[in-house]
Amino acid sequence: MISLSLDSSPSPSPSPTVSISSEDHDRPPSPMANAPSSFASSLSPPGLSTFHADLATSPITGGFASQMHLSPPSFTSPMRTQSVGSKYLRRQSSSVDEDAVHDALSPTHVSPAQLYSTESGRLFHAGKICIVLVGLPARGKTHLAVSLTRYLRWLGVKTHAFHLGDYRRVHIAPGTDVPDDYFLVNASPSTVILRQRVMAACKADVYRFFEEDRGQVAIYDAVNPTSAGRRVLVKEFSQRGIQTLFIESICDKPEIIEANVRSVKISSPDYIGWDEKEAIKHYLRRISDKIPHYETLDEPEFSYIKLYNAGERILLNNSRMGYLPNRIVFYLMNLHIKAGCVYFARAGKSTEQMPRYKSDPRLSDEGRTYARILTDTLLEHRRSEHTARVTHGDNSPERELIVWTSTRRRTIETSTEFEKRGFSCRQRPQLSQMHPGSCDGLSGKELEKQFPEEVELHKKDPYRHRFPRAESYHDLAVRLEPVILEMERIPNDILIIAHVSVLRVLYGYLMACSPFDIPALDFERNEIVEIIPSAYNNKVKRIKIYGVEESQTL
Amino acid sequence: MGGYSFQAENVQICVIMVGLPARGKSLIAQKIVRYLTWLSIRAKCFNVGNYRRLETAHPTAEFFDVNNSEGERLRKMAAESAIRDMFRWFDHEQGVVGILDATNTTKSRRNWILELCRKRNVEPMFIESWCDDEDLIMQNIMDVKTTSPDYIGQDPERAALDFRNRIRNYEKVYETISERDLTYVKLINVGSQVIINRIQSYLESRIVYYLMNLHIKPRCIWLSRHGESAFNLTGKIGGDSDLSARGREYARQLPQLVKMSVGDRPLTVWTSTLKRTQQTAKYLPYRQLTWKALDELDAGQCDGLTYEEIESRYPDDFAARDENKYEYRYPGGESYRDVVVRLEPIIMELERQENIMIVTHQAVLRCIYAYFMNVSQDQSPWMEVPLHTLIKLEPKAYGTEVIRIKADIPAVSTYREKGQSAKIKK
Repeated sequence: MISLSLDSSPSPSPSPTVSISSEDHDRPPSPMANAPSSFASSLSPPGLSTFHADLATSPITGGFASQMHLSPPSFTSPMRTQSVGSKYLRRQSSSVDEDAVHDALSPTHVSPAQLYSTESGRLFHAGKICIVLVGLPARGKTHLAVSLTRYLRWLGVKTHAFHLGDYRRVHIAPGTDVPDDYFLVNASPSTVILRQRVMAACKADVYRFFEEDRGQVAIYDAVNPTSAGRRVLVKEFSQRGIQTLFIESICDKPEIIEANVRSVKISSPDYIGWDEKEAIKHYLRRISDKIPHYETLDEPEFSYIKLYNAGERILLNNSRMGYLPNRIVFYLMNLHIKAGCVYFARAGKSTEQMPRYKSDPRLSDEGRTYARILTDTLLEHRRSEHTARVTHGDNSPERELIVWTSTRRRTIETSTEFEKRGFSCRQRPQLSQMHPGSCDGLSGKELEKQFPEEVELHKKDPYRHRFPRAESYHDLAVRLEPVILEMERIPNDILIIAHVSVLRVLYGYLMACSPFDIPALDFERNEIVEIIPSAYNNKVKRIKIYGVEESQTL
Repeated sequence: MGGYSFQAENVQICVIMVGLPARGKSLIAQKIVRYLTWLSIRAKCFNVGNYRRLETAHPTAEFFDVNNSEGERLRKMAAESAIRDMFRWFDHEQGVVGILDATNTTKSRRNWILELCRKRNVEPMFIESWCDDEDLIMQNIMDVKTTSPDYIGQDPERAALDFRNRIRNYEKVYETISERDLTYVKLINVGSQVIINRIQSYLESRIVYYLMNLHIKPRCIWLSRHGESAFNLTGKIGGDSDLSARGREYARQLPQLVKMSVGDRPLTVWTSTLKRTQQTAKYLPYRQLTWKALDELDAGQCDGLTYEEIESRYPDDFAARDENKYEYRYPGGESYRDVVVRLEPIIMELERQENIMIVTHQAVLRCIYAYFMNVSQDQSPWMEVPLHTLIKLEPKAYGTEVIRIKADIPAVSTYREKGQSAKIKK
């Protein structure tokens, strides 16, 4: 008997899977305790080579960081989770190499691209909103919930996704299936009780998120197949002062549904040994058996967004809720079923020891060698990955690689090898490094001598602080939003060759890093950092480049 | 966000308006141009009606009957002229977003434009404004068309009637957009429903996003600086000082000034988080909201200094600022461009709202004013916005009306001309 759990997506607990520098869960919470010696080489603005190492043990940043990592109940023991009434089944990532999008936010959390904060902690005076997802399984709802959470949090909207499937799993013994009548309107009394218990647990966490944690947007990820059920939700939320926005994911292209099923559903133990096509058919049949009665959104008085075929078409109905629904539609217009990876690499060494922004130096000989080795390494890596996939029966074509660089000469020159081999390379001014302002070309010591107060202020808030005439990481984040949205929009694999300040911010978005982690992220010249998107979590892999030493300067 | 050269991306977009007359197409087109220009993206509107008027200045409804072959020919010629000018602008003036403002109500007309765009490698994007709300339509007709150049000198009643007949001629051949492979946005009844199909680029998504936030209900926006502050009196910039005695007087007189202008209409007041704006708004009997984004331009290291002090301590900076006041960033502070970036959500929210009064600061006010009045980047940082003056903006179909209401309370001038440090005038 095959036990089919309708949400047999891989367990969302952070498992350090393919990461070469995988982190162990028991290590101390501060991510900056990780290899302080490498800071010297990967700092920005140029010249701050010495003092950043202090940040590793700085009482201010180190201390705050540990505050953010509250000790979690283990996800694998449901009983404990239950009794603790956990911080909404929080999963804990204690490393910047793990996607933090599922972590609960502390009440005092400040986001990387937050333009400003208000007293209530709720931005844009928009009040409390619950986004209720609607859609059959394998329509990408969970992926949507995760992506939306990542983007909204990035903007400074306190968001958290609540996946009903997680709550269901907690209430049903592992390995057993959901009762056959679970989704039927006239279910048996025992099923109804089970259903209510699951929903109650989920809703309790939603309310706690709004009331205790000053949350602004909760995303309720469930099938929500009936109009009657949806009306009940709206009423209940409205009684608590929460507005409801529905987002329905509709697919009328079988390829998209099959791709979803293939990537997420049939990787479960239930389908081991099955022929892929049979597995997909079987899964889809089980869905239609379990959920025979599905009503698409049609209530004219509701505010809703209908997403067709993952963004090909969007219908927005009756949105009087302020800034947020429109912002969400804006994001959805750019979001696609993202299949492509993102690679991060630094530009090669330039002719200047301490490359100055104003002079925009070219690559040195060493830099040019590096560019060649970088190209070879990446292409070889992609070839072997492709071979590995084919061996495992995945015959999907290799995704085309495109290269993005800034308009700074050394990044463009680093990409010429790729261009020679026929890859499309594009220069984007938004990818220019953080403007160093008056610090241009200064070494760490010179910086301390010329701007001692600034250096102090910088240590206190490395993310938001601006040196004279310079940009801050926050400015960069805001400046990079078009790049981020375009990254979401493009289905190719993308190699980004840019200055380390830019790589930090982009990595910070993809891995949901906090503002405290971003300025200290590590990007060595002897590594290519690969980020692999998947429905639930983005994963990191570091690819070693042999023949290039660890850089000592920028 | 915006304002960084899209030229490097080589994107050229032709926005093609679609819809019956009196559906707000021209209003939407003008607003898109204004918004993109404010964000430093080159945009221009090509109104086919204007080209048609060169040949046929006062047409009656019959001109627009599809069976009138002469009318058809002249109208097609006008469309061709407009499109030719648009492509010329793309090629020679680094145009990024060109808007073709016309009814474009038939599939065949749209296909024709589509082919032209594809040949030139310009991305076509359709915006359809669909409305069946009789009141809205009637309002539009009365508001715009009777003051339109087509009907100059005619009795408004007869003009309205003729215009209705013109619309009826268009209705006979109207084909709403249904081609699924086109990139389009359909606005139904002014945004109560929006359909977005096959958006191709980030810039297109920005335009759509902006559109979704617009409405056409008549409303006004009042702008005022805070009352005279203690820092103003001593010529210092920045800071978080209290109001001076005269500033407090302004605060006390403000409710009456506002009431005379606003009347009985509902109003919401927005202030910054700095004391002086909140103190200025304190007696206003309306709902108040605070926005950090409305805080004054951060002068960084120069915060709390007078212009004379800045000139003597940082002479290079002082000169550099005069060279390009829009781009110049104070050491440790902001530039006008930075302020525009952080004001964008405010502008978006302003578009969504109805009657709003904003109590803010000199630089911020200049940026907001520049958005509504389409003031260029070299002019806006130099605009004179005196203290103790209420500015009323009334966005109308083809522009914004401005009225300045001076309170009878003297104040220092914080206006500084190029090359000078502020001299305190009484």
